[in-house]
Amino acid sequence: MYKKKWGLVLATSVLAFSMAACGDDESEESTGSNGTTQIKFINGFTGGDGSYMTKIVDDFNESQDEFEVVQSQEPDHYTKFKSSQYDLVIMHESNLETYIQDQMIQPVSSFLEGAGLSEDEFHPAGLAASTVNDELYGFPLDIHPLTMFFNEEVVSEAPATYEDLVTLNNEAQSSDPNLYALGIPGSGLVEFYINMIAAQNDIDLEQDGYLNFAQEDFADALMIFHDMVFEDEISPAQLGLDGEFQTFMKNPEGGGKQAAIALTGPWYFQAAKEQYGDNLGIGSIPQIGDGTATAGNAHILAVPSNVQDGAVKEGVEAFLGFLYEPENLVNWAESGQTPTHLATLDLVSEDPETYELAAQNLEQLDDYVSMPHVYNYGEQMRYMNEIVFSKLVSEAGLTKEALMTELEMATEEARQFSGQ
Amino acid sequence: MYHSKSTKYKALLFIAPFLACFLIFWLAPVLYGIWISLNDYKLSMGNLGFVGLENYKTIFDTGSVYHTQFMNALKNTFVFMAISVPPLVLISLGLALLIDNLPSKLKVFFRTIFFLSYAISVTAVSAIFLWLFNANGGFVNNLLMTMNITNSPVNWLTEQPYAWFVVLISTVWWTIGFNMLLFVNALDEVDGALYEAADLDGANSFKKFLYVTLPEIRNVAFFVIITTVIASFNLYGQTMLITNGGPARSTTSLIMNINHTVFSGNQLGIGSAMAIVMGVIMTVVTGLQYWANLKINSDGPKRKRKGRSKKSEDPALVNAPLPYQVDGKETMKK
Repeated sequence: MYKKKWGLVLATSVLAFSMAACGDDESEESTGSNGTTQIKFINGFTGGDGSYMTKIVDDFNESQDEFEVVQSQEPDHYTKFKSSQYDLVIMHESNLETYIQDQMIQPVSSFLEGAGLSEDEFHPAGLAASTVNDELYGFPLDIHPLTMFFNEEVVSEAPATYEDLVTLNNEAQSSDPNLYALGIPGSGLVEFYINMIAAQNDIDLEQDGYLNFAQEDFADALMIFHDMVFEDEISPAQLGLDGEFQTFMKNPEGGGKQAAIALTGPWYFQAAKEQYGDNLGIGSIPQIGDGTATAGNAHILAVPSNVQDGAVKEGVEAFLGFLYEPENLVNWAESGQTPTHLATLDLVSEDPETYELAAQNLEQLDDYVSMPHVYNYGEQMRYMNEIVFSKLVSEAGLTKEALMTELEMATEEARQFSGQ
Repeated sequence: MYHSKSTKYKALLFIAPFLACFLIFWLAPVLYGIWISLNDYKLSMGNLGFVGLENYKTIFDTGSVYHTQFMNALKNTFVFMAISVPPLVLISLGLALLIDNLPSKLKVFFRTIFFLSYAISVTAVSAIFLWLFNANGGFVNNLLMTMNITNSPVNWLTEQPYAWFVVLISTVWWTIGFNMLLFVNALDEVDGALYEAADLDGANSFKKFLYVTLPEIRNVAFFVIITTVIASFNLYGQTMLITNGGPARSTTSLIMNINHTVFSGNQLGIGSAMAIVMGVIMTVVTGLQYWANLKINSDGPKRKRKGRSKKSEDPALVNAPLPYQVDGKETMKK
């Protein structure tokens, strides 16, 4: 009898938790206190760029009284997005394929039309970043490519080739043995470096839905980073996490090695500007491989699959229509991001002093090569990020054969994570 | 009378809050975790169906990437446990003994000082140690090179065994205060009469520690060891923020791996299975410690009796002058 009772209590608890985990898959219209239709918008803009997006959202909410965009800026916004219902989400290009395969986002062609926009209003790089299997899965917002910052006190002209980097390094070393041309990180932003060198050597890493790193050409291409550290010594060795930026920001009086250039993410612009002020130069990524190309990531505005309600759809379209008005989206360029909306880019070009970083990076858009669109991209890249690249810049005796062995292991991990 | 219905209901009423908390915050999550581990559960798509022990098979399938990562993380966690538990217990005990011998005013001061680091968040602790051990111009490297102890910088965070060393000393610095406080309280509880008796028996400081202090604080020491082992298993913040699991995944802990499997890899089912396996391993390790303690407790009194009788039967010891006796006469201890 008692056993039965306890069994009942346990079963009820488990059932209650199971029920709590189940939810309705379809988002319903939420109404604000003043009768407006609420659009729940989640993004991960918790850094300096967050306030610029907030300004756009606030301006939209003030501009009309039919809809209200309720914005959530969360550092772990993907986790929140996976476990809750939203009407609009900021997604990275790297995650697009995963969320499409997991049926969490929907094609946006009809939304594009509803917002009064068309594909030819966007830069091809933005469209390529948002398109999977010829279907547009998001509104291209921006591209944040690998960016070159340099110290104008040391670098008179931004180096454009590998030879320029070697020359710069020789000059720097002759003036101060602790001053290098640049720093190659051991981990952190290394997947930008990996994609950049693949793009510059015209190597396609994608194969049957997974990343095939085990290619002779790719091993040769990667060895350039090893040579930069151990042969030409244009970068110090063993810089570790975010080493490219830390070395650039290093105060020479504090000891340690310093770099004249940083090939890093554009989000470090404010910090670099604070340190270097008017001496901060911005340039395009030099040609390190066979050709010119840059890599990075893109922000995309995606519409979750659960958005089916007519009023919510209208609200999403109204907000996107407002956001893509150049005078509104230019706020995003002010944050340092490079929008891929052509009319907004025109505004940026007209005022390069105000939109310093965006104006420089828009020159890189034509060279931007989209990253491979594969399922679980982050996990597929993980072995390269955590092990292979670190070995490249820390093991002086690393041979191409040893690198190939590592690339085969990275490929096997990628294949398993791809679900193939 | 004691078995009347109203008494039973009253008793149930008293234990109801505990039962409710136990069910809601412990039993139900554990059962739910087990249930998830038996399903193909994706964080984004929810439950894709019951798969039985498939997730567990994946973890133990040597060809699976989840197996490689789990075993690597398990090995790393055991390494950390092996290198961190002894210093975390012994150094905290040493500090507690030092503090116990201080005048009472200083005792409070130093107890607070040593405990203070425990109140700092792991983020701040990691930032401090990152700054100290940065290979490129970090404080420690600058110091070592200025003093000509080394010619080139030590790669504290990107090379082993240095990376473990940094994680270890940051952990010791951060958490030592908690264990120390437990030992200080335990030392306060030791009956002073026992020390007086030991003094009369001529015991030196080491012997007093071995035969009086240690047996008296044994239960607390056991508790400290168990909680330290459990805390070592839960290594996360330091390796996440200081070494980011590197170099080459050599400091990736079990919790880091589970976190990655669930949140980056979207595999809630496999992550839950990993968590359950980790829980079982922790239970076994704790059980072994518990068994060892019971064994020591049951053996302890016999050894104690044996020691005492041996001493009393040894005429040399009985008649030997105490360390502070001169010519068999007791003098004032300086």
